[in-house]
Amino acid sequence: MYFQKKRAIAMLLAGGQGSRLKVLTEKTAKPAVPFGGKYRIIDFPLSNCVNSGIDTVGILTQYQPLELNEYIGNGQPWGLNKTHSCAQVLPPYERHDKKSGWYKGTANAIYQNIDFIERFDPDYVVILSGDHIYKMDYDAMIKYHEEHNASCTIAVRTVPLAEASRFGILNTNPDNSIYEFEEKPKVPKSTNASMGIYVFNWKVLHDALVADEEDPNSSNDFGKNIIPNLLNAGHKMMAYNFDGYWKDVGTIDSLWEANMELLGKDPEFQIRGKNKIYARNNAHPSSYIDTTAKISNSFVAEGCEIRGTVKHSIISVGCVIGKGAIVEDSVVMPGVVIEPGAIVRHAILGENSKVLSNAVVGGAFGPDDKKKISVTAKNAVVETVLLPGEMQS
Amino acid sequence: MSVMGIIFANDVAIGELTSKRTMASLPFGGRYRQVDFHLANLTAGGIRHLGIISRYNYQSLMNHVGSGEEWGLELGEGGLEYLTPYAMSSNANYRGKLENLHSALDFLQYGDDDYIVMSDSAILTNLDIPDVVAKHIASGKDVTVVTKAGVANGVKKLDLALKLGENGEVADIVVDYVAPSDYVASIDTFVVGRKWLVEQVKEYVAHNLYHLDRDLILGGWQNGTVSINTYAYEGVALFNESTAEYFANSMALLDKDTAYGIFRGHHDIYTKVRDRVPTYYGENCEVENSLVADGGMIDGKVEDSILFRQVTIGEDAEVEKCIIMNDTVVGEGAELKYVILDKNVTVRPGVKLCGDKEHPIIVKRGETV
Repeated sequence: MYFQKKRAIAMLLAGGQGSRLKVLTEKTAKPAVPFGGKYRIIDFPLSNCVNSGIDTVGILTQYQPLELNEYIGNGQPWGLNKTHSCAQVLPPYERHDKKSGWYKGTANAIYQNIDFIERFDPDYVVILSGDHIYKMDYDAMIKYHEEHNASCTIAVRTVPLAEASRFGILNTNPDNSIYEFEEKPKVPKSTNASMGIYVFNWKVLHDALVADEEDPNSSNDFGKNIIPNLLNAGHKMMAYNFDGYWKDVGTIDSLWEANMELLGKDPEFQIRGKNKIYARNNAHPSSYIDTTAKISNSFVAEGCEIRGTVKHSIISVGCVIGKGAIVEDSVVMPGVVIEPGAIVRHAILGENSKVLSNAVVGGAFGPDDKKKISVTAKNAVVETVLLPGEMQS
Repeated sequence: MSVMGIIFANDVAIGELTSKRTMASLPFGGRYRQVDFHLANLTAGGIRHLGIISRYNYQSLMNHVGSGEEWGLELGEGGLEYLTPYAMSSNANYRGKLENLHSALDFLQYGDDDYIVMSDSAILTNLDIPDVVAKHIASGKDVTVVTKAGVANGVKKLDLALKLGENGEVADIVVDYVAPSDYVASIDTFVVGRKWLVEQVKEYVAHNLYHLDRDLILGGWQNGTVSINTYAYEGVALFNESTAEYFANSMALLDKDTAYGIFRGHHDIYTKVRDRVPTYYGENCEVENSLVADGGMIDGKVEDSILFRQVTIGEDAEVEKCIIMNDTVVGEGAELKYVILDKNVTVRPGVKLCGDKEHPIIVKRGETV
């Protein structure tokens, strides 16, 4: 491609393993985990970029990159394959000066791709992560960053005080400038949680990355090193409040919840409508709903054959649900086959997994209302039973 | 050996549904246009050089096919070309396909393809084109006509039908004829040598002969100048040559084998990507024996119907034996039976419409009832 100067480019951190998603990420990087019937998690930040007018996205991959690389391809589904746009997958690589190798941390991953960024001579670099479900206008955040003449702007949202110690917490002055950053504080001073979305002046970030790389004691992480160091050096850093829907889908429970929040007449997350989410599409015909089917309060994507009962569930592309089968409160990922008479409750069924005839997966939640989601891995087969909260590899 | 393709976009029209669009851009099967099946046949067979001949109303076709990206095509010379009256050399007043081809001689003469596959958008198949081409080459004949048995029934008028002898040789050819059941119907897909076709088109048109089926195939066969090979297509073929056929073939997709045969038989069918969300089925909806595309919101009752993308069915609405195209809204409590709602139609709450199998009610694009 022809390298044109860009006002802003995005760097998407997609290399994490997502180990808390357990069997779902055994063979798949977290950003490639299916979501909402036809999407993958990475579609959300990628579509946000496109909808915000950012047409150059570097995607940093490391863990199990095959499926993710294949999925992103040339970026065509997001319109990122034009003369002046790109979705470039950036795996670790070897350099002459040995300052290369596996990405040691989020900051190191960007450091190793300074050359990629410099080709576009950007004013701003937006750092994103590939594990959140939300719709956000990054351009509005960049404008806010510009208006406040900041070196770095961090998107924040208010979280309940009880949960604040799970997040990076930003303590701010009345003008929303940040005076302190605390990573997972035991006694949080505020409820402004970092969303892991940063806008940097590229020059500032460049120098911070180079300095960080020279510090042998650094863990090369944005939250632990880059942000506190810039604050200590007296840079102006702003908090940008975001109050729209935003969900970290890094755990089985939160992934299940986020899927369920798509359902209902007036869903918590409006995936429909403004700011379309783009995804790579396969050639699936429409779904066939048989006379024996009963579907309510559910999403059904294309290419499915539904002959059983589906209640309060997400049925992804290319699934088959047999006659007499019951699927309730579940997330059924692409290509799953649920044979006749099988019962699936409170489950996440991984891609192309199979529940054999009359098998039972999961069950009702206990009286203590503690969620026990049963999960099957990609290509797994449940022959007879998978108990509530159990995993099938 | 390389092959190029030609799709005729509007040789057939079926009234209201094609009054403002080509046959090629007629929506079919919940998320497709007729042309998708032809593009799939040709591109799955490795063809990347193809022309779409359209005489009028081609705007919706061009909107749909665009640059051909979804089918792995590239727009331009040697890739996908739109052969509209403006893009062709002369004679906007076509009387038949040979005249169409004559106007597209520049396109036919470009490049070095050995063979041409021609198809007409009214008939849908899931055809293994490389196999047809291979059999054509092996036959050594001038033209291969792809045929389907079981269509000729002594009732349906066929554009072109053939009677085959015991050894598969052509024993009779008829044009525009209600052929009896011992004839096989042409599915309007032909394979010819490119240079041979160019010569024939020049010769025939110079002699005021312009009809492909009648003049070249039938006439040429009768006077012994054109040798005919036939290829028996075994898969699903849907002849959408009238509104009643279009309606019946749409309903036939509710049969698993028919749906599989046309959508997945030899290859998958690609179409323009719309990035719609999955369809939401409401708390009290009842959907039975229906084909449902994405982006919909269903709260009412739907039976034996085809729902295209982004269709809304209001609470307590009842839809039975209907075809409902993109972005159409059926209001609360409306009752529809044997109705085809074109794109962007609004059916007001409580409206009742009832057609019949042979004469479904058609509500035109963008109308409110």
